[in-house]
Amino acid sequence: MTGTATDDMTGGATGLDAVAAGPFGGLREQLLGAAERFGSGPVAQILAGMVEDVDRALREPLEIFPVCHHSPASATAMVRRLRDKRPKVIYLELCEDLRPLLDELHNCTLPVALQAFAADTDGFPERWAPLSVIAPITEASAEYQAISYALTTSGVELVLVDRSTDHVFQWEPRDAPAGDGGPDGAGEGEDDEAALHGDAVGVEIGDLRPGFAELEEHLLHHGKVRHWSEWWDQYVEQPLVDADYDTYRQVMVLIGSLFRRLRPEGAARTRVDEDRERYMWTRIREHLASSGADPADCLYVCGAFHAASRVPEFGLHGATGFEIGPRTATKWQYGLIPSSHSAIEAQFGLAPGSVSIAAATWKKALQRTGIKPFRLDGRRKGRAKPAQPRPGPVTDRLSGFLTTAPAPHGIDEQELLGWCVDIVRLARKNGYPSSTADAIAVYETSILLAGIRGRRRPTPYDFQDAAVTCIEKDAVPGRRDIARLCEILLGGDRVGAVGYDALPPLARDVLDRLAPLGFDLEKRTIHRALLNLDADPDLRPCSDLLWILRRLVPDAARPIIGTRRLGERSSQESWDVAIGRNMRAIVELGYEGVTVEQVLEQRLRKTVYAPKATAAQALAAVEDSILYLGGRRFTDELGARAVELLAAERTVDDAPEVLRRARRLISYYQATEPELPQWCRSFVTAGYAHYCTLLPTAFADDDAGARQVAAMLGFLLGMESLALSLGCDHTQLELAVQQSHPEAPDKVALLWAAQTQLGLLPLDELRRRCDGLLDNPLVVPSFPLYLSGFVQALEPVPSLASLVVEILSKAFARLPDEVLLPWLPKLITTLKDHAAEMVPVLIREAGRTFPATLAALDAWTPPWSAPPEAPAPPVDAGPAGDLLAANPATCDAVAALLGLPPDWPTGPSDPTGPVAALLADHPATADAVAALLA
Amino acid sequence: MTDEMLRAPAEVKYADELDYLESIDDGHKPFSWRLSPRMVRTFILGSERSDGLDREIPQKWFGDRTFVERAIVTLASDRGLLLIGDPGTGKSWLAELLAAAICRNSTLVVQGTAGTTEDHIKYSWNVSMVIAKGQSRESMIPSPIMTAMERGMIGRFEELTRATSDVQDALISILSEKYISIPELDADNTVFAKPGFSVIATANSRDRGVNDLSSALKRRFNFVRIPVVTSKKAEADIVRFRTTELLRRHRIELEVAPSLLEVLLQSFADLRAAAASARSDDEKLESALSTAEQIGVLEDAILHSQFFGERELRAETLASSLVGSLARRSPEDLAILNKFWHGVIEPRSKAEQGPWQGFLEGGREALAKLS
Repeated sequence: MTGTATDDMTGGATGLDAVAAGPFGGLREQLLGAAERFGSGPVAQILAGMVEDVDRALREPLEIFPVCHHSPASATAMVRRLRDKRPKVIYLELCEDLRPLLDELHNCTLPVALQAFAADTDGFPERWAPLSVIAPITEASAEYQAISYALTTSGVELVLVDRSTDHVFQWEPRDAPAGDGGPDGAGEGEDDEAALHGDAVGVEIGDLRPGFAELEEHLLHHGKVRHWSEWWDQYVEQPLVDADYDTYRQVMVLIGSLFRRLRPEGAARTRVDEDRERYMWTRIREHLASSGADPADCLYVCGAFHAASRVPEFGLHGATGFEIGPRTATKWQYGLIPSSHSAIEAQFGLAPGSVSIAAATWKKALQRTGIKPFRLDGRRKGRAKPAQPRPGPVTDRLSGFLTTAPAPHGIDEQELLGWCVDIVRLARKNGYPSSTADAIAVYETSILLAGIRGRRRPTPYDFQDAAVTCIEKDAVPGRRDIARLCEILLGGDRVGAVGYDALPPLARDVLDRLAPLGFDLEKRTIHRALLNLDADPDLRPCSDLLWILRRLVPDAARPIIGTRRLGERSSQESWDVAIGRNMRAIVELGYEGVTVEQVLEQRLRKTVYAPKATAAQALAAVEDSILYLGGRRFTDELGARAVELLAAERTVDDAPEVLRRARRLISYYQATEPELPQWCRSFVTAGYAHYCTLLPTAFADDDAGARQVAAMLGFLLGMESLALSLGCDHTQLELAVQQSHPEAPDKVALLWAAQTQLGLLPLDELRRRCDGLLDNPLVVPSFPLYLSGFVQALEPVPSLASLVVEILSKAFARLPDEVLLPWLPKLITTLKDHAAEMVPVLIREAGRTFPATLAALDAWTPPWSAPPEAPAPPVDAGPAGDLLAANPATCDAVAALLGLPPDWPTGPSDPTGPVAALLADHPATADAVAALLA
Repeated sequence: MTDEMLRAPAEVKYADELDYLESIDDGHKPFSWRLSPRMVRTFILGSERSDGLDREIPQKWFGDRTFVERAIVTLASDRGLLLIGDPGTGKSWLAELLAAAICRNSTLVVQGTAGTTEDHIKYSWNVSMVIAKGQSRESMIPSPIMTAMERGMIGRFEELTRATSDVQDALISILSEKYISIPELDADNTVFAKPGFSVIATANSRDRGVNDLSSALKRRFNFVRIPVVTSKKAEADIVRFRTTELLRRHRIELEVAPSLLEVLLQSFADLRAAAASARSDDEKLESALSTAEQIGVLEDAILHSQFFGERELRAETLASSLVGSLARRSPEDLAILNKFWHGVIEPRSKAEQGPWQGFLEGGREALAKLS
C-alpha cells in the first residue's frame, strides 16, 4: 500500500525543507494534519510526498507541461499556454523514431495512428514477430496541439524524446509474448473499427490511470460512476476545463503523483516508466547542449505521471550517466494508418464512447471559450514570438482546488432537451417504436438519475442510462442498440483517413522489393519473370513477395511454373507480374497496412475472427501464415483461434476438411519441428473432446452424413494415440461410442467399425452380423447402405480393409440383381469422390485376397470360406524352451496375468530338430553366450 | 411474527431496518413514498461507511448498482417497471424489496398464468353479497392492483408474459389513465389511483414468444434487464446468503466447506462460459445456469447428505446433485456434461486436487448411471 512512498531519490530532508519554505508549505501541513487524523504513517507519507512532487515539478527550470490522454482540458490548457509562451522548442513524450511521420500528418484526417512495424525481427524472440507499435493521434489532444503549433510556426523545433519503438520491445520481459505483457497490448477488436490497430502495442502520451485494480474499484464505487473514463471526466476533466494554467498544472502533477505513489512497489511497469524518464531527460539535456537553446524558451510535454517523477535524472540539473542502449538490427517500417475512436478505446481499455465524448467536450469547450486551436494545414504561418517572461513565482492553487467541491458542468438544459429529441429520432431510424413520450421520459429519467447519484445536473452517462431505461425494450430491432446510438449521438465514432500523398509505404515497399527483377514495374505491361532460386538466392525475397501478392491481389502476380505448399518450395519459378495494371489495388492495400505481410496478417486475422469463421478456415489461415509469413507467434495465434472455433462448432459439416488439414499440418510440424506447437496439441485434445461430444448427436442426426461421421471417427481414432499422449481420456471416446445409437444403416456400419476398432465388438461377431444381414430377406434391400458405411469406415479403421473386401465380394455374390444394380453407380461415385484415400487401400487388399491369374481362380477358395486351419504343431523351442520349462515361474505368472492356462509341452525338446541342427552348424553365437554366462 | 410464517415478506422481515431508515431519511420523497430514492437504494444494496449511518444495513440484492438506480427512478416517473431476465436472476426478489422499501407492502401481487383473467387485474364480485344487497362498492372484490391504486402503493405483476395478451392489455389503461371505471355501478364508479401508485412487473426472457407484450403496453413500461450474475464474488455472497437462510429454515446443522462452495461456483462459471460460446441450443445445457439453480443444487446435496448420507456434505454428493439437476435432455445434456467432466473437471482435479477429486469421481459415476 505504501507504494514507492519511500523517498529514496531526491533526498528526504532537503525536499521537505524546500517544500516547507515554498508556496506549498501550508497545504502540506494541512494534509499532514488530515493524515494524522487517519492515524496511519503511510498515508501521511503519501500525502506529504504528493505535495513535494508538485513542488519539485513546478520548480524545474524547464517548464513541464503535464498532460493526460484524450483530455480536452489538457488540450485547451495547451492552446492557451502555447499562445502565451510561444516556445521555440517543444519536447514531446513520443517515440523518437516516429518524428518523420509527423510531417505527413497534414495530409491526413484525424484520428490516425503513427505506426512502426517490423515483420522480420532481429534480436527479439521469433515468437514475437511481427512487431507493431502504434501511437494514435486525435484532434482533442494536447499533443496534437503541440505538434500543430510546432509544425505551423516557423523557427519552432519539435523534438520527440521518448525511447524508440525498438526500445519499447527491448524493454519488454522476454518470457512474455510481446503485446500481452505490454502496458497496452490491444485486445481483440469486436468490430471492424475497433480492430483497426490489429494486435499492435499501443503507446500513448499521458497514460494516467490508477496503478492497481482495488484503487480504481474504490474510486469508481465512491464516485458512483461506472467507468474510469467517467470518473476522470467528472472529477478531473470537467473542473479543469476552465481552470487557469497554474491550477491545471498543479492538479495534474498532483494526480500523477498520487497514482505513482499508490502503485505497488517494484511493479515491472514502474521500472520501465522510470527508465523512460531517464531516457527522456537524457535526450532533452543532449538536445539543449547541442542546440544551445535557452531552457526558458522550451516546453516539455509529458504525461502527468512522468511530471511527478522521482528518478535522480529528473530535471536539467539531475544526475547524468544513464546509458541509452543501441537499437537492434530489426528493420522497422513506418507509416500512418487510419484509426478510429473505437479502435483507440479498444486498444487502451477505455469505456466505449469515452474518446467520442472527449471530442465532443473539446468542441464544446472551443465554442464556449472562443479559443482558436492550432491546426495542421501544411503551411507555416507566424513566427515564434519572443518568449514571454516566466509567469510570476509559483503560488499554491491546489488548496483552493482541493477544498472546493467538484462542480460538474453537466449538460445544460437546452443541450439535454436536444439530445432527448435526437436520441428518439435516431432510435426511430434504427427500428425502435419510440415517440415524443419517450423523449419526455428520457429527460425526466436523466434528471432523476442524476439526483439519485448525487449530481446537480445529468452527465452524458446519466443521459445514456436514462435512454436505455426508457427506450430499450426486450429486443434490439436493428443493428445497433440504444447504448450504441447514444455513443453515436454524443460524438460518434470517427474513422480517420490517410491522404494519398502520405500513404505510399506499402506500394513503395512492393516496388523496392521487386526491383531485383529488373523490370519497370510501374508500366502497364505484363512482365514474365523467371526466377532460378538455386542459382540466384537473392531473388528469394522477391519470390516470397510475389507469393503474398498472389494471395492478396491475384491479378498482380500469376505463377506459371512453381508451387508453394507446406514443406515444399520450387527451386525455379516463372511469374506473370502485372503491378502497374493493378497499382490501384496495391495502393488500396496500403490503406490496410504498412507492408503486404501486415495486410495478409490482418486479413487472416479477420477471416478467423469473423462471426461465421470455421475451424477449417482457421486451419487454412494457419497454413497460409506458415507459407507466407513465417512468424511463429502469429501462426500460434491463428492456431489457438482454430482451437476455439473448433470447440464452438456445433455442426460437423466441416469435419472432413478439418481432418485433412489437421493431418497435413501435424505431419508438417512433425517433419520440421522438434515438437508440436502448443496450439497443435490443444487442437488435438480439443478436437478429441469436441468430436467425442458431438459423436452421439452426429450419429443420430439425419443432417450429418456418413462422410462427416467417418471423418469424425477418423479424427478420433487416427489421432487417438497422439491425443492420449497429450492427456485425453480413452473412456470419453468409449462413453461417446456407447451413447451413440444410429438408425441409418450406413452409420450403423460405421458404429460397428468403430466398436471393432475399440475392441468393443470382436471381428468374428461383426462378420456374423454382416452374414446375418445378407441372410435376412427383410434387410437385404438396405444392405448396400451398410456397405457404403463400411467403405467410408476404411478411412478411420483401415484395419477393416480385409473385411470390407470380404463383404463386398459376398454382396456381389449373393445380392439379388434388383438390389445390386441400382446401387452400383452410387458405389462407383462414392469411390470416385474419395479415390485418393480409399481406393488404394481397397485395391491393395483385394490384390492380396484374390488370385493374380485366371487359372488360379478356378482352384481358389476365398479365405473366409476356407475351413479353419488345424492349429499349427507346437514349434520346437530348442534350448530356450528347455530353459523356460525348467524355470516356469515367470511364464506362469505372465500366463496368469493374461488369463491363459499354464500348459507346458511335455518332454524335453528334440535335440535333432532343425533348430539344434542350425545351432550345430553355426555354434559361434551359442558358444559366445555360454562363455558370457560362464 | 416472522417465526409464525414460513416465509415472511420483506417489509416484515426487515421492519426494523425500514423503520430506522425512515427515521433518519431527510431526502426528498416522491409522492407518498416512505423512503427517498437514495434510502431505497441503501436498503436494497446495503450501506457503506461513507454513508455515515449509525447501523449497518446489509446488502439484500446482489447485482449492478445501475439496475437498482434505474428501477427506482422508473418508479418515481410516470411509467411502470418491467424487470426482465432469465429465470433465477432475482427479479421477483428485487421487485419485493422495491415494493417493501417504497410503500411497506410487497404483497399486492397478481400472478400471471394462462388462467389469469381480467378480473384478477381489475375487480370481481362477491356473488352472495350481490344477490343479497345488489351491486355496490361493498360487494365488490378489488384486485391487488386496484387496492394498490386506492392506497397509492406499488402493485406487482409476476410473470406478465404468462398471462394472455387480452389480460395483459387490461394494464394499458391502468398505466396510462391511472383509473379503473366500474360500469356496473351508477355512482362512485371510478377508482382513481392515488399518487405513489405504480406497477412492477416481471417477465421471463426465456418465455419470449409465449405471449408477447403488445407495443402499446411495452411503451408504458420501462424495461430493466437483469443479467445472470457472473461476478464470482457476488455469486458467492448470494449463495452463502441463501444457504444460511435455508439451513436455518430446515434447522440443519451441517457445515458447508468453503472449498466445496468454491468448487460449485467454479463449475457453474465454467459451464456458463461454455454456454456463452455455444452457437445453438443443442450445444448448451437446457438449464439457464442461474444462481437460483446453483442454490438448488446445493440444497439438494445438503438435504441428501442430511437424510441419506453421513450428515456431512461431500464433494461426491455435490457432483451427483449437479449432474442430476442439469442433465435434463438425453443425449444433448449428457454429452455436454461428459465433455465438461473430461475437458474441465479432470484437468482441474489433477492440478488442484482437494475436493475436486471427489467431485470428479462423483460426477463420473452419476454420468455413467445416466448414460
